[in-house]
Amino acid sequence: MPKKFPEVKLTRSHARPGRTALAVASAVAIAAWPHAVISKEPMWSLVPVGHPAVPEGDADVANPIDRFLEVERAAKGLKAVAPADKLTLLRRVHLDLTGLPPSPADQEAFLADTSPDAYQRVVDRLLASDQHGVRYARHWLDVLRYADSDEKLGPGSGIYLWRDWVINALRDDLPYDQFVQLQLTGRRVSERTQMSDTGFRSRKEPRPGDIFALGFLARGAGGDPQDLAINAVDTVSTAFLGLTVGCAKCHDHKFDPVSQVDYYSMKALFDPLVVKKVNLASAQDLVAAGKAMAETQKKRAPFEKELAAFLDPYKTKLREERIQMLPPEVQAVIRKSEKERTVQEQKIADDYFPILRIDNDKIEAAMTAEVIGAYRDLKKRVEEAGRGSSTPELAAFNTVDVDRSREQLKSYVLTSGDPTRPELQNEVKPGWPFAGSEYDFRDGRIEAFADWLTDPSNPFFARVAVNRLWQWHFGLGLQRTPSDFGLQSEGPSHPALLDWLASEFVRQGYSMKQMNRLMVTSQAYRMSSEVPPESMASQHIDPDDTWLWHFRLQRLEAEPIWDSIHAAAGSLDLQVGGRSFDPGAGAQGRRGGDDTAKAGASTKRRAAYMIRGYSPSRDVTPAFLQSFDVDDGRVPCPVRTQTVTAPQSLFLMNSPEIEAATTELAERLKSESGGDMNQAIDLAYRLTIARPPSPAESARAAAYLENNPERLKQLSWLIFNLDEFTYVR
Amino acid sequence: MSGNSELFPCGRISRRNFLFQAGGGFLGTALGGLWAQEGEIKDAILGPHFEPKAKSVIFLFMCGGVSHIDTFDPKGNDHAGKLIDAVGFGDNQASMRRPVIPCLRSFTRYGKSGIPVSDWFPHVGGVIDDIAVVRSMWCHESNHFPAVIETCTGHRGRAFDHPTFGSWISYALGSVNRNLPTFVNIGRPSSPVQLTGGYLGASVAATPFQAGEIPIPNLHPPKGSSSAERERQAQVLHEMNQEFRQRYAVNSDIQARAKAYKLAASMQLSAPEAVDFSREPDHVKELYGIDRPETAEFGKQLLLARRLAERGVRFIQICNSGGGNGGWDAHGDMKTHEPLCRATDKPIAGLIRDLKLRGMLDETMVVWTSEFGRTPWSQNTTGRDHNPKGYSCWLAGGGIKGGIVHGATDEVGYKAVESPHYYSDLHATILRQLGIDHTKMEIPSLGTVSRLVENGGPIKEIIS
Repeated sequence: MPKKFPEVKLTRSHARPGRTALAVASAVAIAAWPHAVISKEPMWSLVPVGHPAVPEGDADVANPIDRFLEVERAAKGLKAVAPADKLTLLRRVHLDLTGLPPSPADQEAFLADTSPDAYQRVVDRLLASDQHGVRYARHWLDVLRYADSDEKLGPGSGIYLWRDWVINALRDDLPYDQFVQLQLTGRRVSERTQMSDTGFRSRKEPRPGDIFALGFLARGAGGDPQDLAINAVDTVSTAFLGLTVGCAKCHDHKFDPVSQVDYYSMKALFDPLVVKKVNLASAQDLVAAGKAMAETQKKRAPFEKELAAFLDPYKTKLREERIQMLPPEVQAVIRKSEKERTVQEQKIADDYFPILRIDNDKIEAAMTAEVIGAYRDLKKRVEEAGRGSSTPELAAFNTVDVDRSREQLKSYVLTSGDPTRPELQNEVKPGWPFAGSEYDFRDGRIEAFADWLTDPSNPFFARVAVNRLWQWHFGLGLQRTPSDFGLQSEGPSHPALLDWLASEFVRQGYSMKQMNRLMVTSQAYRMSSEVPPESMASQHIDPDDTWLWHFRLQRLEAEPIWDSIHAAAGSLDLQVGGRSFDPGAGAQGRRGGDDTAKAGASTKRRAAYMIRGYSPSRDVTPAFLQSFDVDDGRVPCPVRTQTVTAPQSLFLMNSPEIEAATTELAERLKSESGGDMNQAIDLAYRLTIARPPSPAESARAAAYLENNPERLKQLSWLIFNLDEFTYVR
Repeated sequence: MSGNSELFPCGRISRRNFLFQAGGGFLGTALGGLWAQEGEIKDAILGPHFEPKAKSVIFLFMCGGVSHIDTFDPKGNDHAGKLIDAVGFGDNQASMRRPVIPCLRSFTRYGKSGIPVSDWFPHVGGVIDDIAVVRSMWCHESNHFPAVIETCTGHRGRAFDHPTFGSWISYALGSVNRNLPTFVNIGRPSSPVQLTGGYLGASVAATPFQAGEIPIPNLHPPKGSSSAERERQAQVLHEMNQEFRQRYAVNSDIQARAKAYKLAASMQLSAPEAVDFSREPDHVKELYGIDRPETAEFGKQLLLARRLAERGVRFIQICNSGGGNGGWDAHGDMKTHEPLCRATDKPIAGLIRDLKLRGMLDETMVVWTSEFGRTPWSQNTTGRDHNPKGYSCWLAGGGIKGGIVHGATDEVGYKAVESPHYYSDLHATILRQLGIDHTKMEIPSLGTVSRLVENGGPIKEIIS
């Protein structure tokens, strides 16, 4: 059973050995009441979530959110603006809930539906769609630092299967506590252990499919065995607790009651985890792959031999040049065969391997143009004989598992967070801050932590989650630092509303879709984003719209921009799930690891599937994503910046994607309008910015078209480059 | 506790600004760099605080940590083989005893100043009379990623909160040339943090340029598009946007859209010219080592840097051997420095000579640095470990004294002992030469103030 979250009383679970009596005493004082020492204010986010009464208000203001907001607005003399018009709202809610613009048919239907619950039904339809899962998964994956590759994440990790798991979980409205439990433990709370008839308790097999939730932890694996645990703490604490404990990695946290010992105690929870590769291919596939491999190797062999003989003189020459650059004693070692080398000498030779490695592009530099031609022909012949030397691609997935032998190892504070420098005098026991003094690890360390984390009495858990949902709907959280609910943060603008939402979230069984529905059906969500002249007084009082008296104009993120372009062009591939694609793959050849798209795969899928990540040797995250503020996923990204830059404009002006989309959109306009230019203009606006043009806009477009259907491509370019296309009103 | 983190509290003071601003409220400040000159942004810093000595900075960052002991800070081998206390990385006190490894380099005294430079940098030795070597730099962080964050943002802690150095300059001074970005990065950085605008926004972040025909993606209009049509489109687009822009006139994001389009269009015209080396004479290319395979890549990057400086780009950052921990991370064997020195030595000297010949060195500052230095000892190899406690950097041009050495490390090259300079002092020195008072370069927001240099000041001894 999950333990009750202790009230504000805080006790340190472990005093750090080796401290002076005074240091321990002061640490205890800080632990007992951190804010007493550091700040006069109590840390608000540690106070248990209350269930504030919904303020009295206008009877026809049914949504409690609006009651809470109106109290603050009224107190500040702010007046909410009018509701947005129907089509503006429709585009807003479509892009918000699914990341896709409403089709002209959606627009027609919504305009025609004058029943009072027309909007409700749109919301329900969108929340039920597969594409809602895709859209909200993308939000969560930023926070959970999804990447297709980084320095350490090798190819073949099947990491995309974790992404697909998140998509499905959100589509199926998996309760949030289970959503987190599964990613931490791979099991549903009720399905951890089983009893045999003879009374033997054992770990239960996880439900098929749930294994992919553990991609979350496997994602943090690195070259050093400690990386997995360090990344787990950093991500879990920011994503689910809203505490940036990462600073405590190197020194005691100055402002929040999280000490270095707490940090490494949390790390100790995850220390026994190791990455395990799970083969997903069928037995027949495995056998067939082995056979195929042998066959292609046989086919390739003669060509490979020829190629090797061809390259040998060049390689020898280049290698010799490089060896000449080395000091004589190293040269001597390098010239020995492996057998002749001592262990130390082999180490030296290994260290020089990267320097002496001759890459293919370097070889070409030593060749004449003619020879390069012959060389490439030869290479082509080898390729045509089949991909031999590399392992055939078989579906696999990296998961994590508790390594019983690692469970026996002690955990230590690491000097400056460096995995290779444990402080052997500073041992830590598994645990976490604010936990009280006893831990029940019978179900496992992480299970115990997950139970504490997801317990309704944990003051961080629901607050942090509902605040994120609020941020994704309204553009800014009630707590503006969504991954920092600590003492240094500002504190929420509407504490009562935040608590009410958090308690409601718990009451509704952690249903994220219920919260989404509640938020997007509020009047606050349905307000206009414009500040009319009569609201200038409000604008003066609250220029940042902290008190939500109008909807915030938001620049679309990278993914909905990409999707909107291809949706308008009629070429968007809405397939749900599957491997990531690389938009540059066609043009630049294969760039990604095994988990990324191959050249020729569809590059018109939703941008949620677009490859992202980091590599020391190549650009992974496409320039498109980078220029529209997508991070590379090495660290959690709680808020994407919304910038306005020249490289963004260059994308919309000159990119091959825009060139292709304008051609396709023009074709679509031509065929769907039957050659009627006015109809084509009307459709162009509806397909892109989801509204018909005003008479003035229509007239201007008609003047530009000069009644020439060939100019529809140029008109399409203009519309993609409209400010309105890139913004949600 | 070592106590020094009070000054650099995880970078957390400004984090709230970052998130607040990044969430959409940064409208005022984000565009400071590009548009400050027009006085449209209330909080932007309007130009220099005093007469600048330098117009541009070419900032050479050697990723991974260059060994000062094997390059610009000779120690002799009196202590080689001795076990010494290697105490205390970061804030923790972990003691270990490690043997000092011998330095295999020979040093030559160059120029009138007679400053010793190792045999790995003979060409730089040839221009040493234009260089001020600072041998007493230090920072806190002893791992690459945190140290890169600390040295490029002046703050310890989380990635991407604080803007990198170049973004601050972009923010503070704005552009000289409206047709090119203010802050350009060339070469692969160790970390994207070296490009970030942080809470100043991406409009002041680095624009990555490559030496080559297409310096930035999507620079050229698609084949077959006519420039006359594009001009007409630009006009029509402006008209089509009018109503929307008027409706959202209070939103400076929307105002910035027009500017971003203008810069994009200008870059289309001016960037290809900036990266076109065809009119550079052979003797200039030779100066940079572009004629030789081992120096060609870095040489091209530095020639591009000079051309961008000529065209008014304020801050040109060149990341050498970046990606991951960085190529200069010589744990296994110091010899791995050798090819990197060879690839950079001639181009760097060529850049300084070329700037001097053109009369540009007075107003163009060249800075050579890395995130930390390397220890006198090894981890049981023939390489050296990370050393943030004492290391070297050097500066040339832009009003910096040439031919001087400032500061010193202890007898083995471990700690900065004479005139130690926290890394922020390097930032403050460069800012000073650009005419910026580092105490005034700040962002007020939500009642707190953020700065690049929280504590420190210019290294006066090297300023002429």
